[in-house]
Amino acid sequence: MYYLKLINTFLKINIQMSLAYRADTIVNILLNLMWLGWELLGLNIIFSNTTSLGGWGFGELITLLGVFRLVNTFMIALIWPNTEKFNQSIRDGSMDYTILQPVNSLFLVTFSRISVWRVWDLVLAIVLIAAGISISGDVTTPLSILTFLLLTISGTIVIYSLWIVLIALTFWFTKFDNNVTILQALLDAGRYPVTVYPVWLRIIVTFIIPIAVATTVPLQALRGELNPGRVFIFLVISAISFLIASRVWKAGLKQYSGASS
Amino acid sequence: MLKIFQRLWQVNWAEQWQYRANLIMYLLYWLVSPIIYLAVWTSIANAKGDVNGFTANDFITYYMTLLIVDQITTNIVIHTFAYKIQDGTLSGELIRPIHPMLTNALVNNIAFKMLTIMGLVPIWIILSFLFKPDFASVTWQGILLAIPAMILGFLIGFLLSAAITSLAFWTTRVYSIHEFYYALILLFSGQFVPLTLMPKVIQNIAQYLPFQLFLYYPIQLILGKLSTAQIVQGYVMAGVWLVLSIVFFNWVWRNGVKQFSAVGA
Repeated sequence: MYYLKLINTFLKINIQMSLAYRADTIVNILLNLMWLGWELLGLNIIFSNTTSLGGWGFGELITLLGVFRLVNTFMIALIWPNTEKFNQSIRDGSMDYTILQPVNSLFLVTFSRISVWRVWDLVLAIVLIAAGISISGDVTTPLSILTFLLLTISGTIVIYSLWIVLIALTFWFTKFDNNVTILQALLDAGRYPVTVYPVWLRIIVTFIIPIAVATTVPLQALRGELNPGRVFIFLVISAISFLIASRVWKAGLKQYSGASS
Repeated sequence: MLKIFQRLWQVNWAEQWQYRANLIMYLLYWLVSPIIYLAVWTSIANAKGDVNGFTANDFITYYMTLLIVDQITTNIVIHTFAYKIQDGTLSGELIRPIHPMLTNALVNNIAFKMLTIMGLVPIWIILSFLFKPDFASVTWQGILLAIPAMILGFLIGFLLSAAITSLAFWTTRVYSIHEFYYALILLFSGQFVPLTLMPKVIQNIAQYLPFQLFLYYPIQLILGKLSTAQIVQGYVMAGVWLVLSIVFFNWVWRNGVKQFSAVGA
């Protein structure tokens, strides 16, 4: 409850900050719409030359685009702004103040910056997912939707855990401010089903930088391509990766010595 | 003048060399989308035999060539120059007797390019082992013809980006304008897919725009896919756009500098 209250406060602060730049917000929304148009045009071009991509049809690719945008919004609205703040706090030593707060430091590092206006992007993503499902004509049951939601969340947790490990490395290597570039770069691979990629790329985006776990996998569940055993394995993996990540984070904190000392 | 360029080269090379770790990261970031498009289109071509006459190997050679051409024709002037206008550090460069954009920024971009190409070569070799492109259609004449085309493409792209960067003299939202400009490049340059697979409308417009000169035209020259008439038409377009972009850049720059009152002045 206490944490929800804190998130509420963070939201208020961030709304105030973004209200200072109203025109920028409008420009950003327009640019975002332009990119959506570009993405849809791209899919349109692909499907004017073929009827299926890696075994998936147009509707499924729209749904995948929605899922991808869901994950991408999570990164843009929360993860990247906080990475910037975190890297700066390591450089100038203001991390000291974060650690001194009587709140879980990982929580503070994750939620203190929120790009509030991105909320509308979430709505757009959900519209895309729904539209995609209705175009593809796939039969969805309450159970498949539930596993889809669970796997989207657990996949996002896997990416989030990787992020924690990457930024925690900064505690050991202070000058490592490129820490998340690899994650940013490979995120785009989530736009298309991993089944179309060559094996080496598929291995990278599934096991090393597991973008696919949050994009392709939930959609496979929605289409009923995953048996309960595999769903269970994915959920366990996400729990384990978060446990490992929080261990690494704690070890990193012990390593931290401040910028001035 | 030659001496000036020599010295600028030394300074800018040293500056870019200092950031070599960042350059590798930039390179990784930039590599991903062509590789994804390559994978998507080869999977379609493999499933169907060909896409409108494009075989899987056609797509592989197209994107593998794109990786090199893009690195040669691209520029980063928006990232290295716009902030100088905004925070006023440009003042120091303006009082020098040389053009800040056409000397210093230009040399800086070329130094950046040299380093990224050095980084790209080993990656490119690894990728060609993975994708096994068959470059049977490439001839020496094609490559020789493409070299001036790529230089023209780079110059036009540089001047247009420089003009857009110079809009920072008037507005702080120059990065948003540049993002829009970048979307136009994606759409009309052949970055996403060889232009002949684009909808007819886009192809017709693309013919008259400068963006295809950055990627599609040099790539097709190297791969030997163009008829003599198409080659001539491409070079004529490049000549016209070079003149237009010089005029456009000069006009924006001159008015911009008049407008410029540095921070703190």
